Amino acid sequence: MLKIAPDMAAALWMTVRISVLAVIASVALGAMLTALRMMGGRLGHGAVVGFVEFTRGVPPLVHISIVYFLLPEFGLVLSEFWTGVLALSLVGAGYTVEIFRGAIDSLGRGQTDAARALGLSSLQTFFLVLLPQAARRSLPPLTNELANVVKASSLLSVISLNELTKVANDLIFMHFVVIEVLIQLTLLYLLIVGALMATSRWLEARLQT
Amino acid sequence: MDIAFIIDALPRLLPGLWLTIQLSLVGLALAAMIGLPLGILRAELERGFLKGLIDGYVFIVRGTPILVQVYAAFFLLPMAGLKLSPFWTGIVALAFNSAGYQVEIARAAMRSIEKGQWEGAAALGLKRWSALRLVVLPQAFPRMLPALANEASNLVKASSVLSVIAVFELHKSANAIISQSFKFLEMLAAQAVLYIAFVVVLTQLAAWLERRTTGKINRGAEFLR
Repeated sequence: MLKIAPDMAAALWMTVRISVLAVIASVALGAMLTALRMMGGRLGHGAVVGFVEFTRGVPPLVHISIVYFLLPEFGLVLSEFWTGVLALSLVGAGYTVEIFRGAIDSLGRGQTDAARALGLSSLQTFFLVLLPQAARRSLPPLTNELANVVKASSLLSVISLNELTKVANDLIFMHFVVIEVLIQLTLLYLLIVGALMATSRWLEARLQT
Repeated sequence: MDIAFIIDALPRLLPGLWLTIQLSLVGLALAAMIGLPLGILRAELERGFLKGLIDGYVFIVRGTPILVQVYAAFFLLPMAGLKLSPFWTGIVALAFNSAGYQVEIARAAMRSIEKGQWEGAAALGLKRWSALRLVVLPQAFPRMLPALANEASNLVKASSVLSVIAVFELHKSANAIISQSFKFLEMLAAQAVLYIAFVVVLTQLAAWLERRTTGKINRGAEFLR
């Protein structure tokens, strides 16, 4: 147990850093794409719907391959770390758009009408009136999706990023200690996902007031 | 994009798709056989050892990545004396994962049926088992279908992870072609199209099933009126 602890701790830190960045980027990108979907005219709407269908229909592993293989073709060479963050953010954003859209649809037309009557522009209406209310309602499904982003970070092991799953797998082959490593691995993921859930519940309680 | 290359590569890509279809369908069926009864049972339990056991299982499945579950199956099954082929190791991992989510789907659908349905069935003299089979399940099942369709498409996508234990499903086949030919764009586009096509077929199938089953319920209600 003890001899693998330093390696596992370093890997945990990598997974946490990637997860936090990807979670923040997913939500920010998701919010912007939702705005584009609602106000971007026919072209913006179509582009976002296409993006969402694509992200939801294709495995995250394929997204990782796309970012990893295709961006260098266009001269954009990212490190494994940023390749991972970008791929996870794209997947997360695709699902986040659908969650935000559902929540905004459930708000009712009156919010928009009142905001426009007060003289807010459509961008102001979206970011100041609709999104804050939708954020509260979408917190439970959003948390689920963000937990999926954290779990998808394990897939970055295929582009040899030294995150938890990759390091655990290496340790198994190096030391032949299967059960100890798998138990630690499971507990660490449960810890990260649990922390995310707890944060979400705390945020939900705060936003209620 | 080199379309001719994609067409040339199809004979090597389609067996991968076929394996993905097999993994998904067998995994889904196996997971439904385990997960749905457990979920229906879980909806009945208020406390006790069994409730804790099911909740613990669901917690672990939902809290850890599918990749970790695949590695766990890959390393632990042989240690337990079960030497399975990569294909069946993959099926076990997928079913273990999907069943956990299906427990939650079945439980939520069962809980969404009003108590009055149980009481009415009891008042008509139906035993608990008959009430479940004849009254509650026919109403709960259509409510599970949209979530099950979602889960089915998640399972298809999760099957791509089995590439790491050398199951030559769609993603692995496409990657093998990429590493020989360096035709990134073509193979990524081809596998994306095939995944989306399969997912769309599955969701349409679920929508059709949903229309059919809810139709029956509505006809039943009409008859009662």
